[in-house]
Amino acid sequence: MLSSLIAWFGAPAQWSAAAGIPTRLLQHLGYTALSVLVGAVIAVPVGLYIGHTGRGRLLVVGLANGLRALPELGVLVLFVLLLGLGLTPVVLALMLLAIPPLLAGTYAGISGVDPAAVDAARGMGMTERQILFGVELPNALPLMVAGLRTATLQVVATATIAAFVSLGGLGRYIVDGQAQRDFTQMAGGAILVALLAIVLEVALQGVQRAVTPGTRARPASDPATPAVGKPDTVTAGG
Amino acid sequence: MIEFSDVRKAYPDGTVALQSLSLTAREGEITVLVGPSGCGKTTTLRMVNRMVDPSSGTIRLDGVDVSTQDPPTLRRGIGYVIQNAGLFPHRTVLDNVATVPVLLGRSRAEARSAAGELLERVGLDPRVGSRYPAQLSGGQQQRVGVARALAGDAPVLLMDEPFSAVDPVVRADLQDELLRLQSELGRTILFVTHDIDEAIRLGDMVAVLRVGGTLAQFAPPADLLAAPVDDFVAGFVGRDRGYRRLQFVGAGSLALSSFPTTGDGWLLVVDDDGRPTGWRQGDDHVALGTVHEEGESLRSALDAALSSPSGRGVAVDEDGKVIGGIEPEAVITLLHASAEPAR
Repeated sequence: MLSSLIAWFGAPAQWSAAAGIPTRLLQHLGYTALSVLVGAVIAVPVGLYIGHTGRGRLLVVGLANGLRALPELGVLVLFVLLLGLGLTPVVLALMLLAIPPLLAGTYAGISGVDPAAVDAARGMGMTERQILFGVELPNALPLMVAGLRTATLQVVATATIAAFVSLGGLGRYIVDGQAQRDFTQMAGGAILVALLAIVLEVALQGVQRAVTPGTRARPASDPATPAVGKPDTVTAGG
Repeated sequence: MIEFSDVRKAYPDGTVALQSLSLTAREGEITVLVGPSGCGKTTTLRMVNRMVDPSSGTIRLDGVDVSTQDPPTLRRGIGYVIQNAGLFPHRTVLDNVATVPVLLGRSRAEARSAAGELLERVGLDPRVGSRYPAQLSGGQQQRVGVARALAGDAPVLLMDEPFSAVDPVVRADLQDELLRLQSELGRTILFVTHDIDEAIRLGDMVAVLRVGGTLAQFAPPADLLAAPVDDFVAGFVGRDRGYRRLQFVGAGSLALSSFPTTGDGWLLVVDDDGRPTGWRQGDDHVALGTVHEEGESLRSALDAALSSPSGRGVAVDEDGKVIGGIEPEAVITLLHASAEPAR
């Protein structure tokens, strides 16, 4: 099994052919990025609004749990029946998966900002818009990126279903492998999906660290500076 | 000047935060609102910058009804300090301090350089300017909070329990610092606290509020201690108010006695410059207690007497040289004399 896998990955055609691994990988990334982006366009503004005003909190919880419970393949088939084959039903189905973590992360990030900082901002004469974009959003970024991480992982793992409706992506190897009873190909596809998920996870962890407030410009000249540490408590406090 | 006229605040659920308040916080003075929780002191303060709007009555800031002004514009002209400082975690200390000037349209570079000067003014090393709030102690954060409120050059400062969350030693430092700053800047300050000691220490005028939002007494701290209007105020200003009142009585005309230079009793040990160093009786040595410096209040004079092993306190001039001894009886005599015209 291992030797056949190595042979599968090693075949030059896998890396050069029009339907080789690089193409499938890019297609897979493309479905993932598009679905998460569309999900974010919907979830982030709603999360910002709910987090800032405190209105509609129950909606977030209900919606997030409801969407999580949907059977993804069933939803995809439903969209295909409604819209026909193509990219749109796939992106819509995957988007539904991306919305709950993005919405929850945005809402939790905004509503978790230190209420004293928000009170001070308002008391100093910031407009509601300045408070949201100048104080709440920058401090909510770590939790928002955490939501993005979860959304991306779920979508990248589930984007294999695109192959069920005649699209490409890494799911092709799994669907075709199963049809041809070629388990090496199936395993190869699964490994590629897993590797892609790990790479995205590490990259987004880096992004999350980079956006955590109060850690960007620690003065190197001052060794006595107490450790910043606890970035989570800074944003999740109160 | 901040004037409250018949200000009332009731919430839709029927809770009355403030019955009907009328008082004036005078120009250039610290006016303290003090009372137990639920007395409406914070609500009162927050009505000045329209963080809360009154149900009825008017609040005038230098003669202008605040309800006629746009809240963000109004607020940019009023300094605001709150309990946990409320610094922005994602901005450096310098940028935190520069917040209001930038909102007012000044350039960031100009605002930052002014912010650096303000940090020094509130007793911070300007190098902390490049740090983030999470890297500062609670006391330092609170100093930054004060600097940020001063940055807009607002003539009026609202301070809502600014020093309540720090430990007593740091709190005392911050109070001293505020009094020093105020002597330089002369802002009109409305200060909310639940701590009567803080109110007495800082206030030019103190308003004691009762639960339910009524004004119990509005008076200078010395009057509050000398003549509380009722049992509530008497209870609130505390048990040792007689002793604390001493700090508002000058010791200028205190009669000093002289120290014995020989004998079996306690003798004061003095160095070549005439400064006291301790007490001696035979082979026993005792450290100095409180030393009363010329110009201080009767409180330090009495404490000097009480903390001396001989029962006679040490009074020194501003160079620290001994000028005489303080008998407890002399303090009491002076206290009675000073209280008489007021009665």
